[in-house]
Amino acid sequence: MLLPLFIAFTELKRYLADRVALAFSLALPIVMFALMYGAFGGEPSFSATANFVDLDNGPLSRELLDRVGAVEGMDVRLYDSNEADQALGRSRILTAFVIPAGFSRDLESGKPVSISMRRRGHGGGEGQIAAAIVAASAQEIAGGLQTRASAAAALGGGVSMERIEAAVEKLGGGGPPVVVVERGGEESGNVLFGMVAGVLTMFLMFAVTLNAQSMVIERLNGTLERLMTTRLSVNQLFAGKFLAATARAALQALILLSLAVAVMRIAGPIEFIQAVVFSLLFAAAVSSIGLVLAGFARTRDQATWGAVFLTMGMTIFSGAFVPFESGPMEVISRFTLNRPAMDALHSILSGSGGLADQWLQAAILAAVTLVGLAAARALFRTT
Amino acid sequence: MTTDKVFLSASGLSKSFDSVQAVNDISFSIERQEIFGLLGPNGAGKTTTIRMLSTVLEPDAGDVEIGSRSALREAGEVRKIIGVCPQEIALYEELSAIDNLVFFGRMAGLGGKEAKEAARANLELVGLLERGRDAVRKFSGGMKRRVNIVVALMSRPQLLFLDEPTVGIDPQSRNHIFDTVLGLRDEGMTVLYTTHYMEEADRLCDRIGIIDGGSMIALGSPDELKASLDQDGDVTLEEVFLNMTGRSLRD
Repeated sequence: MLLPLFIAFTELKRYLADRVALAFSLALPIVMFALMYGAFGGEPSFSATANFVDLDNGPLSRELLDRVGAVEGMDVRLYDSNEADQALGRSRILTAFVIPAGFSRDLESGKPVSISMRRRGHGGGEGQIAAAIVAASAQEIAGGLQTRASAAAALGGGVSMERIEAAVEKLGGGGPPVVVVERGGEESGNVLFGMVAGVLTMFLMFAVTLNAQSMVIERLNGTLERLMTTRLSVNQLFAGKFLAATARAALQALILLSLAVAVMRIAGPIEFIQAVVFSLLFAAAVSSIGLVLAGFARTRDQATWGAVFLTMGMTIFSGAFVPFESGPMEVISRFTLNRPAMDALHSILSGSGGLADQWLQAAILAAVTLVGLAAARALFRTT
Repeated sequence: MTTDKVFLSASGLSKSFDSVQAVNDISFSIERQEIFGLLGPNGAGKTTTIRMLSTVLEPDAGDVEIGSRSALREAGEVRKIIGVCPQEIALYEELSAIDNLVFFGRMAGLGGKEAKEAARANLELVGLLERGRDAVRKFSGGMKRRVNIVVALMSRPQLLFLDEPTVGIDPQSRNHIFDTVLGLRDEGMTVLYTTHYMEEADRLCDRIGIIDGGSMIALGSPDELKASLDQDGDVTLEEVFLNMTGRSLRD
């Protein structure tokens, strides 16, 4: 029992001593998370620009632009609808507020109006602040209009606009909010949760399937055969290698999730712990697949390319970065190893479901682990 | 069958891979505290023989007894009394020499403290104690070879298999290895040694078996083998070897 654990411990030591492997498995995800942070969750110093698409082009929409532009530190930029979409698509801007046609008319007539917010990811911190300023400015305008209307009604006919304005000024222009700033596009966390789950599963697959490569190297340089001349049984060696791969992946999952949570603040401590626990299941599943791959591969190149094809294939077809809503690709994605892990991690990280709710995904991964282990043991060889 | 005197006995060993007969009906024995050399050209079947003797490979036919135990039926027991130094540098290059030795020591059944002590003693034996904490990848070829050998000593074996332990190293390292092997024999260890270097076999081995085409074609002490070549003057082991195995190139 202790020997497989000692093998796993030594493998972890080797992993931590191998700078290239460390750089590949840790530095690359860090770069990826940094890019995601910039694209979807960055909170640079506040120099907010409110990007508008003004489909109304009326007096009140212009007043709104003026009011927002008058806020200290705020800048206003106008786009037409297509330009805004393109800029969002290329991540040049993270938010665009769309003032609908008829905005001025509806507002003057007291109807509720809505300004939609198109965004990339959750729009970034700047976008959130801009949204609050736009909402407040719009409510000020609406409130002023309502107060004027109320004052005019109360004072009756024959009262000059100057007096009404003075009264409105005195009252402070308050009033019930009639403007709703809608949050258009995807739910804020969805993209990030999906991306984190996608990146995590992809790197775990890479790391562990590449473990197949190191097994082939061990077979070629004779360390596996050498181990078989010790008191170690084949089953102990096999168990040790499985534990080692799983431990290595678990360590990676812990580091990646810690990074994701620390940098992007996407989950609380409970969600974090649950995600780490679930990642262990995924690590075990991909470890068994890695051992199957090692059983087939005769050369280092075969193991490497097998790992690359498996990981990339699974990542692409699982919809890790471009989710498939429907159609044949969505059906195919259900047969990938990443999909149950991504679904569960997404659910856990977003708080829409706890660990206990992921029983189906857990059962799928457990089944993959068992079948993978059985196949890998049958294929396992030391020479 | 092993006796008080005979420590290893191989009888009728055969092994084929697909259509290639790698080893064909080989029988020989090694006495306790003997250095037995197994010589042969490339592809003669030396490594396959060692793999069968060391329980890694199951023979198609024949049996091996080591220390009164069958290597086929009691492989686990046999592994407790053997140490194997393969032809390749079978070490973990990212780990230090001490970590490698401790790891293989633990796999050989030593406890943690015991393994560390044995690692230090064995590194001292091959003059590498001071470099023990360095990663093996930083070592020269000769240093790696020396570590490769002492890994096989971690289990304190009674029988040591050394498969071409001096390939590609400088004369100093080779000389150090010779001294180590002779010292181990003097301490009571039995050694099976394969090499391509005839002068090495001549210097170290008490008896030599020459293997070619998977069969044992000669067996005896270096002097007996030289005497078997009906030639006047000083005869070298290399001349004997070439005479027996021919001069054509091998794969």
